[in-house]
Amino acid sequence: MILFRKFRVLLLMVFLIACTMHIMIDLLPKLEKRAAGADSAGSGCQCAHHPGSEAQGWGKQRGRAADAGWPNKHTLRILQDFSNEPGSNLTSHSLEKSAANGDKESGRGSRPAAGTEEQRRRTLIGEASGARTVTARGVSRLSALFEHPLYKTDLPALTDDDTLFNVNSDIRLYPKTTDGNEDDSSPMTESTPESYPNWLRFHIGINRYELYPRHGHVLDALLKDLATQRITSVAMKSGGTQLKLIMTFQNYGQALFKPMKQTREQETPPDFFYFSDFERHNAEVAAFHLDRILDFRRVPPVAGRLVNMTREIRDVTRDKKLWRTFFISPANNVCFYGECSYYCSTEHALCGKPDQIEGSVAAFLPDLNLAKRKTWRNPWRRSYHKRKKAEWEVDPDYCDEVKQTPPYDRGSRLLDVMDMTIFDFLMGNMDRHHYETFEKFGNDTFIIHLDNGRGFGKHSHDELSILVPLSQCCRVKRSTYLRLQLLAKEEYQLSSIMEESLLRDRLSPLLIQPHLQAMDRRLQLVLQVLAGCIKKEGYANVVEEDLAGDKGGV
Amino acid sequence: PPQLSNWTFTTPLDDTTTSQMADGSSKLEKLFAHPLYNIQIPPLGPEESLLQVEQLNEYYMKKVSHWERHMKLYKEVAVLSNITVKLHEMTYDPDASWLNFHLGINRYALYSRDDPAVLQLLKDMSNLTIVNADYTQDEKALKGACDCTQVVKPSGHHLKLALKLRNFAKAMFKPMRQQRDEETPEDFFYFVDFQRHNAEIAAFHLDRILDFRRVPPVAGRIVNVSGEVLQVTINDDLRAVFFTSPANNTCFFAKCLYVCKTEYAVCGNPDMLEGSLAAYLPGLSIAPRLSIPNPWTRSYSFTGRQEWEVNPFFCDAIKQLHPYNSGNRLLNIIDMSIFDFLIGNMDRHHYEIFTKFGDEGFLLHLDNARGFGKHSKDEMSILAPLSQCCMIKRSTLLRLQLLAQPEFRLSDVMMESLKTDLLRPVLTKPHLLALDRRLQKVLRTVHRCVRRFGKEEVITSDFIKPTAKT
Repeated sequence: MILFRKFRVLLLMVFLIACTMHIMIDLLPKLEKRAAGADSAGSGCQCAHHPGSEAQGWGKQRGRAADAGWPNKHTLRILQDFSNEPGSNLTSHSLEKSAANGDKESGRGSRPAAGTEEQRRRTLIGEASGARTVTARGVSRLSALFEHPLYKTDLPALTDDDTLFNVNSDIRLYPKTTDGNEDDSSPMTESTPESYPNWLRFHIGINRYELYPRHGHVLDALLKDLATQRITSVAMKSGGTQLKLIMTFQNYGQALFKPMKQTREQETPPDFFYFSDFERHNAEVAAFHLDRILDFRRVPPVAGRLVNMTREIRDVTRDKKLWRTFFISPANNVCFYGECSYYCSTEHALCGKPDQIEGSVAAFLPDLNLAKRKTWRNPWRRSYHKRKKAEWEVDPDYCDEVKQTPPYDRGSRLLDVMDMTIFDFLMGNMDRHHYETFEKFGNDTFIIHLDNGRGFGKHSHDELSILVPLSQCCRVKRSTYLRLQLLAKEEYQLSSIMEESLLRDRLSPLLIQPHLQAMDRRLQLVLQVLAGCIKKEGYANVVEEDLAGDKGGV
Repeated sequence: PPQLSNWTFTTPLDDTTTSQMADGSSKLEKLFAHPLYNIQIPPLGPEESLLQVEQLNEYYMKKVSHWERHMKLYKEVAVLSNITVKLHEMTYDPDASWLNFHLGINRYALYSRDDPAVLQLLKDMSNLTIVNADYTQDEKALKGACDCTQVVKPSGHHLKLALKLRNFAKAMFKPMRQQRDEETPEDFFYFVDFQRHNAEIAAFHLDRILDFRRVPPVAGRIVNVSGEVLQVTINDDLRAVFFTSPANNTCFFAKCLYVCKTEYAVCGNPDMLEGSLAAYLPGLSIAPRLSIPNPWTRSYSFTGRQEWEVNPFFCDAIKQLHPYNSGNRLLNIIDMSIFDFLIGNMDRHHYEIFTKFGDEGFLLHLDNARGFGKHSKDEMSILAPLSQCCMIKRSTLLRLQLLAQPEFRLSDVMMESLKTDLLRPVLTKPHLLALDRRLQKVLRTVHRCVRRFGKEEVITSDFIKPTAKT
């Protein structure tokens, strides 16, 4: 028993040190700069500062760190810097503490109006996570947007029925977090939720109204994990039409990888049908940002990532079918094409340069065994046939029928579909045949916007048929309507806010200017359709009040 | 940039791009007037022509009656099943250009230099009414089975159609797949490259300028895919692959490539689609052909290497083998490799010969659609037969040297020749200039051989005299 306790304390220490070092890595360039700024004698001594004792004392730690995939040399440098920077220890601690605090606060949605303080913190975190700092002009439209009262509405109070997991009972079902001593998080399994890996904290945070809270450290940290965590294994996703890979990370988190198939400038050829279009990795990333800017928060976090095809895919996969399709191209690049039903052939091989390939990495939702999801057929689903038309394309009163059919006859489901319609129209995604909800929440919950890879295909074309649900039903949530109006204003212009938000991704620029501008144009079209509806049916019949409890902010 | 050797008659590329000489005369005409292009072949015996008149007429009549019987039956079926098919009147023309082309094939070449039938055939293919469209034999041979796991697709997978013209001529239609200024992506292997219609056209003209005359005539044409293909086909499978795209264009696809999701459809704009029409050779039943693997074939895999790619003495072994150990066969292979190098075609896995002419016959240069893919790269490995064997026909070498001279410069005569096609410009400027650069590389390779082995060893007198016929 005593032995076990000792062990626990040791592991706890090890974990704390690992955390500190992690933050140190990110602060390293800053520190180096600062050190260089000091007198040259000091910086010269930095590297030679009793390395022997330091190395010995941290011997065990170093071994562990190396296991975790950090290069030894790097670790040593961190330790040296660490020993010579008295302030850094403190800084990193306070940074972590404030981040954790911030998260706790934001867990329940509302935050105190400590605007500047919050903003300062956010930029700090932004820097630490390796993302580029906001705009060059120094004025962040994005933070201004998130400071707007419309983005500060409260969620209703949450009960146990409103969260996807009950932290105390359900979390033990995750078998992966309780085995394996190499895991960063394993020593903390009996500790507070704050010490769980970020993907797990993301899962715990899912509730009846949102996939993730508006603000908070978890999202940023999770995005960073997706872009940087070591990939321990790769498998092909079965069932999908186009090639997708399932990546497992060092901290047992999993993500869906969609490789780059098209360059940023390429448009979908005019003769392509929506169902034969390519899936675009940048559309996945951009859709996540757009969804967040619209304050829907119904797209699982997605980050862009540059993957080394040899080391991070070929060498870590146990999937023979995938492994077999790797080859070296005549231009000496590493290529593979995988196995799937669409575009998995040598003609469509994905090639690196020479072995780096871009892709989108989307966080996995909780395992279906733990959180069952329901798949719903979109009432405005297309025919997926070259010649046939769908019912809604020929019947102008189609929505009246839908309104009578459960679950669209009550609750907010129809309005959620309208939100999704607007979201899809802004991206130009015609491929929304199904949507999903979490079974636990029944019919009174948001719908998850999965699979957005077919958006952002044509910037020169606005596919008005995507808006048909809206023009047929003429219903919209007041909160959505107000936010759309806000984003149409000069100072919150959707395109600039998207551009700024996308700068935080490693693969930026993710969208070329014409795509960004197309969103402004499409936003106007949405507002026009809504204005037409209001004119025809009256404001009260079109705009559904959903901000009743929170009039103060609007 | 092309490097010039100081051995041959070469001058640096200048900026004059016109094919016209200073005095306004045509370079192409001057080329064909050159003595090298006026060497006469000995009078032909009956055994040296591929087909006899009576034989061909009999074959032709059989085809006509078969067609009429078939159409009569089809008309009845079409009325019953309510299909509308445009039926054109066929004209029986015993003096049709394609018949004369077939009659002109002899043991030396597919057509003679001044054959009016070839010019007429090119004209016919580009404007005669299309009366029927169908799948080609090799696509039909697949019988609808598509094996999507194959890395190298059999030729039946590719999109091409057999068109029948009003005078019963048949032509193979290959639609446009790539823009003129598009290059093959650098990561593409030769066996997944696109089939280019303009390469087919340009290859015919180049072959004629090189005086090989081993490529069947090819003409460009803008085809109305709904009026001239969909509405005239009586093949239900072919009709089933047509559809209208979201942009309201008429499109159709190669079934297997579409099923395997490797390729999308080709689309007209809204109905008009560019393509190449290549004249059919006489049917295999009257003029059987042999398909022989090219000794310098590639591995057709991602990693495999052929012996010739690793063994510099590969040709010594080939020289010992029948039929390369006697006669002109090896020299013909080398001609072919020069031709392929000039167009950048790496996909020459087989070559064909007419069985009637045996080992002494010329090689047919069929299927050149994978040439002219990259103007910025010269694939030296295509020239391996020349660089490894170090042999070349004197007549070929003299013509190559002639085409390197400024007054007959290859790019100029090619450009002039290609101007006669409907789809001009068939080749972009960089492709034309690449021809000059590659020609220099061929000549330099010959020069290197001459330095190593001497003129007598390398430059072989052929001048039509068959070595085996004594």
